[in-house]
Amino acid sequence: MILSGVKVIEFAGLAPGPFAGMVLADYGADVIVIERTQSAMPRPPSLARGKRSIMLNLKDKEGIKVANRLCQNADVLIEPFRPGVMEKFGLGPDELLKNNPKLIYARMTGFGQSGSYSKMAGHDINYLGMTGLLSKLGREGGKPTAPLNLMADFAGGGLMCAMGVILALLERTKSGRGQVIDASMVDGASYIGSWIYQTKDAPYLWPIGDELGKNLLDTGSPFYDTYQTKDNKFMAVGAIEPQFYQQLINGLGLTDEDVPGQVDLDKWPETKKIFADVFRSKTQSEWCKVFDGVDACVTPVLTLEGAAQHSHNQTRKTFLTNEDGDAEPRPAPLLLRTPGVNYVKPNPVTGQHTEVVLKEVGYSQSEIDELIKNEVVKSETVKSML
Amino acid sequence: MALTGIRVVEIAGLAPAPMAGMILSDFGANVIRIDRTKQTETVDRLARGKRSIAVDLKSKEGANVVKRLSSNSDVLIEPYRPGVMERLGLGPDILMKDNPALVYARLSGFGQSGPYKGVAGHDINYLATSGVLSTLGKYKENPIAPINLVADFAGGGTLCSLGVLMALFNRTKTGKGQIVDVSMTEGAAYVASWLWRSQNLQLCWPTKIRGRNLLDTGAPFYNTYETQDGKYMAVGAIEPQFYALLLKGLGLTEENMPGPQIDIRKWPEMQKLFSDVFAKKTQAEWIELFGDSDACVSPILTLEGAATDVHNEARGSFMRNENGSYEPRPAPLLSETPGITEVKSDPNIGEHTEEVLQEFGYSKDEIDHLIKNDIVEKL
Repeated sequence: MILSGVKVIEFAGLAPGPFAGMVLADYGADVIVIERTQSAMPRPPSLARGKRSIMLNLKDKEGIKVANRLCQNADVLIEPFRPGVMEKFGLGPDELLKNNPKLIYARMTGFGQSGSYSKMAGHDINYLGMTGLLSKLGREGGKPTAPLNLMADFAGGGLMCAMGVILALLERTKSGRGQVIDASMVDGASYIGSWIYQTKDAPYLWPIGDELGKNLLDTGSPFYDTYQTKDNKFMAVGAIEPQFYQQLINGLGLTDEDVPGQVDLDKWPETKKIFADVFRSKTQSEWCKVFDGVDACVTPVLTLEGAAQHSHNQTRKTFLTNEDGDAEPRPAPLLLRTPGVNYVKPNPVTGQHTEVVLKEVGYSQSEIDELIKNEVVKSETVKSML
Repeated sequence: MALTGIRVVEIAGLAPAPMAGMILSDFGANVIRIDRTKQTETVDRLARGKRSIAVDLKSKEGANVVKRLSSNSDVLIEPYRPGVMERLGLGPDILMKDNPALVYARLSGFGQSGPYKGVAGHDINYLATSGVLSTLGKYKENPIAPINLVADFAGGGTLCSLGVLMALFNRTKTGKGQIVDVSMTEGAAYVASWLWRSQNLQLCWPTKIRGRNLLDTGAPFYNTYETQDGKYMAVGAIEPQFYALLLKGLGLTEENMPGPQIDIRKWPEMQKLFSDVFAKKTQAEWIELFGDSDACVSPILTLEGAATDVHNEARGSFMRNENGSYEPRPAPLLSETPGITEVKSDPNIGEHTEEVLQEFGYSKDEIDHLIKNDIVEKL
């Protein structure tokens, strides 16, 4: 696979760091998660597929030595801590890159390694708030609405971090050297939203730019929004271009006389109400029959489970089935010659691979026993859980 | 720079493909955008640093120009519905036979296969088909797509760049290129993987109802609030120790509260209480009051406000362009080989037609012939 042979040490964190690690694991990297023995927060189990887990006591000098040894042989390190924490552990980039100049040291934070907020706690909603993008998201008359934690934690966070790692790996094939990646979720989310900044003064996109939910793509227009169906499901309408809009009108059983013009902004609320009434007259599957295969840009809003069962997604094998029988997205994009994983590897039990990982970097069994005895590391084999 | 020496041919498209081209350009690639002839305006707002050549793709000679460019390039990005490139004689079979090291990236909404392939759509449709849209939006309101950020840009353009970079990395070992099939539907789903994988986490998803959960506007301590001056603050105080600081900053105590933090039945009431308190001070006052405490309370900035915020300025998070407005600096920051730090200008359509053709070995006579016959156009 693309990242076969690439060794990643991921210091356990909440969501962004683990997502970056998961992307790398999904494309073949050997990702080892360092979990802390005295951790206040239990590790959320959600993004660990295919990784291996070792438990270390990072407050113990001996534990730091172990971490050091693991990093000496690693290609990539991902850490999610506030700036300065790794340095306090004696595991800062200066230290580690000195011994391993080819190490790619990725630092995944909300606010970045510098700046006045860099030591502050925060979550996706705070980081997205700092980009300016959150101020544009929400319905008319309401307040800014963060799209869960997709934009900062995942898109601008883990995904961007993974992309930086691949860039650095690629660059390293030329230079032979690693480097430090300062992956800030504020920066990442802003960068992904570049187009919004670039087009904010375009009158066709943002006719009433200062107000939420009154513009072309932010639920202001009647032809770019969701509508409720008779059976309390929803359809998504994205009929921007005139030829698609015409198909939308036709499919709704309307004529040009029934609705105000597409670009009659003042009448958008009126048009919206007309569309809403029509959409409520049929069920979601009835609308699918009307619009499937038609170039109207009208498609069902599928639930998480529904998406996995939809015929298009099934044909594409967009979803994999895990050992619990539940669906989860398959790695994207598809690289045809060297794709990512096509099945769900299990989550490791915390500390499941402590011994095997230590052996891989040259510890003897008696050394390992000593480390366990002194609670420098913890080993949790599946057997010991029974 | 990380991608110095990498040549990218970007077939002009709406927004996702330009995003992929821009990312590659920002990190040093030489990106040539193939524009159509007979048009003066481009829709590409992500064009900084690219060069433009205008080619009549419908003509055989025009297709030959693209073939020649791609035979000496590393990456091609195309934004069309499946089959269009094949009809132009520029499908991967042809271009990769000629140049087996080519990374051929195909960026579409629904992917290169499946019953929806080739159906017209936009971000909102791809997001809907991915399942993700069903989770976004407030209680009792219709699902709301966050403009076109998640499918067009996160799951589309950015994921396309990721795929291209991975393919280039693989190529350093194998010498071979490959096809990268980027479906925005799948990309959006993949970026949102956590949604599927966390459904049984009671803390995050206490109900099966959109808008009534931890991160989807259900929780009062993970929400936005209007200030006295019509601006907003973002509150993300999930952890108990941060929540305690939130209450402190709001001048509330546990006793004031209708219930403990995680009593979801009291969430609507708590939200109203927080609303009332936030409405009593201006945004600036709240910023001052919360300072850099760990309450996870921070301002919601406008696009312009973000560019000039003191934290973002210190980080150089935004660059100023020649029009005096701001655009985000490439992320992430690579210490040794960063992306651009200043904004290169957008090309005009056909501005680099002659220069690019010369670079690819066309003689002056050949170039004159192409221009004279409207196969290519120059500015």
